[in-house]
Amino acid sequence: MHFHTWTFLPFFLIAYGVYLGVRTSRFANLWIVIVSYVFYGWWNPLYLAIIAYSTLIDYAVLACMVKSSRKKMWLSVSIVNGLFLLGFFKYGLFVTENINHLLSAVGSDYALARPERLLPLGLSFYVFKSMGYLIDCYRGHVARETNLIRHAAFVSFFPILLAGPIERAANLLPQFRDPRRVTPQDMADGLSLFVVGLFKKVALADCLALYVNKIYASPESFQGPALILATVAFAWQIYFDFSGYTDMARGVARAMGFRIMLNFNHPYLATGLGDFWRRWHISLSTWFRDYVYIPLGGSRGGPLFTARNVLLTMVVSGLWHGAAWTFVVWGALHGLGMVVTRALERHPFYRDKCPRLAKQIGVFAFVTFAWIFFRASTWSDACLIVTRIFTSGLSDPACPLLFIALMGGVLIYQFMCDSSLRRYLMTGSVRVSLTVLMLLYVILFSASGGQAFIYNQF
Amino acid sequence: MKEPDTKNTTASPLPAGLVRPWEASPFSSNEQRLSVTQWLLTLAIMLLLFVSLPRLWPLIEDFNPDPDYRMPYTLSDDYWLYSQYCQWAAAHSDVMVVGDSVVWGHYVPPDESLSHHLTGLTGKTTQQTFANMGIDGIHPAAMAGLLEYYGQAISGKKVILSFNPLWMTSKKHDLQTDKEFRFNHPRLVPQFTPRIACYTESIPNRLRIVMERRVELLQWSSHLSTAYLDKMDLSTWAMAHPYDSPLGAMPFTLPQPKETTEQHPSWNARGGAAQAFPWVDLETSVQWQFFKRAINTLRDRSNTVFVVIGPFNEHMMTDKSLGQYRLIKAGVETWLQENKVPYSMPAPLPSDLYADASHPLAAGYALLAQQLCDDASFKSVILSPAEPD
Repeated sequence: MHFHTWTFLPFFLIAYGVYLGVRTSRFANLWIVIVSYVFYGWWNPLYLAIIAYSTLIDYAVLACMVKSSRKKMWLSVSIVNGLFLLGFFKYGLFVTENINHLLSAVGSDYALARPERLLPLGLSFYVFKSMGYLIDCYRGHVARETNLIRHAAFVSFFPILLAGPIERAANLLPQFRDPRRVTPQDMADGLSLFVVGLFKKVALADCLALYVNKIYASPESFQGPALILATVAFAWQIYFDFSGYTDMARGVARAMGFRIMLNFNHPYLATGLGDFWRRWHISLSTWFRDYVYIPLGGSRGGPLFTARNVLLTMVVSGLWHGAAWTFVVWGALHGLGMVVTRALERHPFYRDKCPRLAKQIGVFAFVTFAWIFFRASTWSDACLIVTRIFTSGLSDPACPLLFIALMGGVLIYQFMCDSSLRRYLMTGSVRVSLTVLMLLYVILFSASGGQAFIYNQF
Repeated sequence: MKEPDTKNTTASPLPAGLVRPWEASPFSSNEQRLSVTQWLLTLAIMLLLFVSLPRLWPLIEDFNPDPDYRMPYTLSDDYWLYSQYCQWAAAHSDVMVVGDSVVWGHYVPPDESLSHHLTGLTGKTTQQTFANMGIDGIHPAAMAGLLEYYGQAISGKKVILSFNPLWMTSKKHDLQTDKEFRFNHPRLVPQFTPRIACYTESIPNRLRIVMERRVELLQWSSHLSTAYLDKMDLSTWAMAHPYDSPLGAMPFTLPQPKETTEQHPSWNARGGAAQAFPWVDLETSVQWQFFKRAINTLRDRSNTVFVVIGPFNEHMMTDKSLGQYRLIKAGVETWLQENKVPYSMPAPLPSDLYADASHPLAAGYALLAQQLCDDASFKSVILSPAEPD
């Protein structure tokens, strides 16, 4: 079940209606668990067993951890369990294929059987959320939640279950403990966030997807202009798709009285790669910062040591996104970009003299180039696209002007948000007008298919 | 207007200056945060647009049907337009002729259809006008939905409802198969109950269809897509016409049907052979259940319903098949009599006046109209000046 499909509407009306009735009672969290499991099981009820298993194991491990003197051992049990789930469902095929390639390369006839499993939706998100919680407990940053229902509600909270934000226990768990208050402004805020997210998804992301899918399905049939435009369109598509999901998730949670962290903050206005990752998928980048980069040593050593940590963290981040070498390369490219921009930012000329707009264009160009590896179906496709961008001739890209206008419109809006013109966007009449226009566009012109969110596959 | 309160609202008091971590997170990266009052204003504007846009649209869209108008084939699933046409026909015609491609006139131009001939024949006497409300390719299950959701304007009128037995010639036509079957007009059949096993649309799409039936703005949106955007949504249309403006694609004049003037040969001239149709039982027929539902829908709206059974091409059937068909006809007749629905069962047309199993050719329509005008029941119900029920 996705937020932007018609199925979600009756589901939410029932779930929310009952929730408003029980939100101050002791059944509130139980109701959240029930509706979250319905939401998740709607796609495939069998995978409810995985989330239930993960929840129970981590709950039991936490109970053992707080009582035991061997806390590290119990933490390891939980981490190994989480990594096993990810490995089994997400990386099984990748590992098998690579072993088979190696066996084939050394002339062996033996090949491992390909595991035919579906990746449970949102597995990486709730495993990371739960893992972060256990590490925080181990470090003593948060107290263990003794109530199983509250623990299960934290793990399975449906607005953020499928694609995050990967909310921290320190932020989210206390909200399950506090008596919940839902004010009319919470509802209005929830609706505001949801409508923006819905517009981003169905009017922008799904629209751009048509062009991107066409070009990336057979890159050998297209020349430079089409490949460049499709890559730029994908940069916007994935932003609208993922930030749209996040907006809707935060909106649903907000309407229920929960505050979920900001996950995107105009990432394409970033002036450096580090800045980009402080604006893009903030919950994941801070997760990697806190649980991978800093434990690796962070920037406490010399520049080479820091560069190594940045690279390692970004490669792992790439692998988190998908079990394929293209994702590893994408992560490594970002790692390299971060190392280079860190070095550039130390130089006074770049820091002080280089125009902000030039930096923004540079970062956008680099990030967009890296998206090629993220989006391409295979490594050879990615190489082909890069080669053709630089070597093929010019031909009509047949990119709809409507799509270019939509991308341009959003870019202008973002620049306005980031400038002194922001005050014009803050007037009530502009807000109301834009909301009416967005709603009308979604109702009248958007596709009815309800394409899945890109990040659900991670 | 009142701006949203940007101060943090907490469930329980905290020492001054302290903010809970989850409340320190910014609301959003954009400025689209509306207060409750602003939302109420937005919803009021939306409500106004929901009501007014579909109603104002006919003022700028050129839709002027002539007396022989029929829904163009390309707009067969433009149900909003059908509802507009119903309003027009209810205001300009005395009798509505409702049915599938037999009423629509699949093999003939509009001025050779059944409604045209009926108008011509009665024009000299009772001066009644008959509107062609047929939809090419519609079947009883869809027809029941069409009348229920989009035919509200047909109220207090005389209605001729055509019963085409073609839809009972096999389990597939009768929507009785369990295997997925892409039949015509799926948006008109029941989406949840009663369940049609061969209909396998996804639940979100079924919900959208249910919403569309109830929200005129969605119907109107579908009309724009069907009439001007080649039945595509805006994005898909833009992909097909990358450098065109969507506004340029809307000339505000409905596409004109491309009517054929070609004379179609009869079924036997094309070498057709007698067929053994695997008829379904009337008792278990899905399409028959829906046909009865269509009658009830029309009668509930104070219409006078007159059913025309067939005439099916009996020359095209084997003897065994003909025997089964006659049983079905008898069953239909019995039900109509029991329920006091006036009807006519015209005699089969000569063999060379059929284009196929159920569609008459131009001369066949003329003869059928004549047969109806000679039918006592038809005269008393349809041609009489009596007020409808």
